[in-house]
Amino acid sequence: MAHQTEVSHHAPEEEHPTSTGINNRKLLMWVFLSSDCLFFGSLIATYMVYRGQSLVGPYPVDIIDVPITTISTFVLLCSSFAMVRALAATNEDRQGGIIFWLLMTAFLGTIFIGFQVYEFNLFREEGLRIDTNLFGTTFFTLTGFHGAHVTLGIVWLLGLAWIARKGRLGPKTALDVELAGLYWHFVDIVWIVIFTLIYLIGGFDTGPAGDPSLVPHSITGFLGLI
Amino acid sequence: MSSDHGVHESRHPTLKQYVIIAIFLFAITIVEFVIILPEDFRGQGWTIAPLAILSAIKFAAVIFFYMHLKFDNRLLTWVFLGGLALGFAVVMALVGLFTAWTPSPRAFAEDHAKPCTLDHELGGCLEDPSKAVVAPTPGPAPAPDDPGTAPAAAPAVPAGGGLVDTGRQIFITGAGEGAATPCVTCHMVEGVPEAVGLLGPDLSHIGTEAATRQPGVSAEDYLAQSIRDPESFIAEGVDRATPGLMLAAITAGLTDEDVDALVAFLMAQQ
Ligand code: HEC
Repeated sequence: MAHQTEVSHHAPEEEHPTSTGINNRKLLMWVFLSSDCLFFGSLIATYMVYRGQSLVGPYPVDIIDVPITTISTFVLLCSSFAMVRALAATNEDRQGGIIFWLLMTAFLGTIFIGFQVYEFNLFREEGLRIDTNLFGTTFFTLTGFHGAHVTLGIVWLLGLAWIARKGRLGPKTALDVELAGLYWHFVDIVWIVIFTLIYLIGGFDTGPAGDPSLVPHSITGFLGLI
Repeated sequence: MSSDHGVHESRHPTLKQYVIIAIFLFAITIVEFVIILPEDFRGQGWTIAPLAILSAIKFAAVIFFYMHLKFDNRLLTWVFLGGLALGFAVVMALVGLFTAWTPSPRAFAEDHAKPCTLDHELGGCLEDPSKAVVAPTPGPAPAPDDPGTAPAAAPAVPAGGGLVDTGRQIFITGAGEGAATPCVTCHMVEGVPEAVGLLGPDLSHIGTEAATRQPGVSAEDYLAQSIRDPESFIAEGVDRATPGLMLAAITAGLTDEDVDALVAFLMAQQ
């Protein structure tokens, strides 16, 4: 493998025998994704616990737009497809394909983020902020952290495309692309869960059935009675 | 790890398979969307199960094919499914803890909520807009103020009586039947949940401040005078010390004992 070292810095690492039989970087990536399940699990649990508990609007039914978000969900699914194409191109050493599909993935991810920025702004204009009610708090925290994951993925992909531009990605360094792909697909499956929970299931939640002018008397009053 | 160059390729699905999976994922998303398309179906409890199952299928398709767990070392599958199971357990545990054994946050808040006409400019509730002498900024919309719906939670007065508690009571509810606007309508006092009025000065620390208002006038005397004859003196440099709001008529019905009790209560607000 010595003749390969000038092509890639990672190649020798990849060839290390490991006790698990799995490349260590790859195992680490999966362990990280596994732990990220717990991270999103807690945020999802928080959303579920406080679902339908807001006393003041806007409530999900007032502002959640399922059709628009279905489109952005499609965009993210497309990006996952672009990602597998990028990895395939890397394995087949098609240099043009590597760059094209990496950039395509990043581009679709950026469109997804664009939808999110638009949505967050719209919600803010319609009176839902992170401190407005329990819905706002849990919604923005959960989707915001997901958006941050996507953004990080975009930076990662652009970095790879930059490296690929110098012809440094190929079958020997396919793991570099594969790891980014694992991360990217993971972000996609997290969205699959969020989309189902917040939009398809929770998107039509209304406020308390009673008097809309019923709000906690004041923070002090509320705390004073606890 | 094998040093065979083709090892990755041979273990990955072909382009055709990838396309089929992509179409499959699209199709499921469309089905999900169609499920909640009819207005009667939206937010219905029965939609949860099919939506959750369809999502789980999508989830599995992505991790097993796009993330090629199916073609990879079994250990990776266990590493990931282990974390996923743990995450799922966390969700179930938290949801169980917060919903099964404790009253819902909303039920709690509703129990302790009072009807309120929000006045955004004042940044608080207009306690009783109809009774406020002059509302500098009338509420945005006259609320359907049906007294019948008011939960009217009886103010929790600590037992023990005493002049301070009597004063606190008068401060909150006004003196006797048919009393004029209670003080809490206009004044806020920290630690008194009912006192959130924002028309007059904050009286949270009036016990200490009162002595500084008029040179040569003791705190008690100043307070008693402010109550008996509110229009005689307007404190300077005090937020929301607007003349013409705390009219003599508001306090005219108070007896000397009432005033003493109020002064004792206010003196306790250090
Ligand atoms: C209609 C609203 C209103 C009501 C009701 C009202 N106040 Fe006031 N109060 C004011 C305003 C405005 C001021 C400041 C201008 C002034 O001194 O008249 C004030 C001033 C005071 C001050 C002097 C504060 C300072 O910082 O010097 C005291 C003490 C006081 N109020 C006590 C009371 C008490 C006790 C009651 C109940 C019997 C009461 N107020 C009811 C509006 C009100």
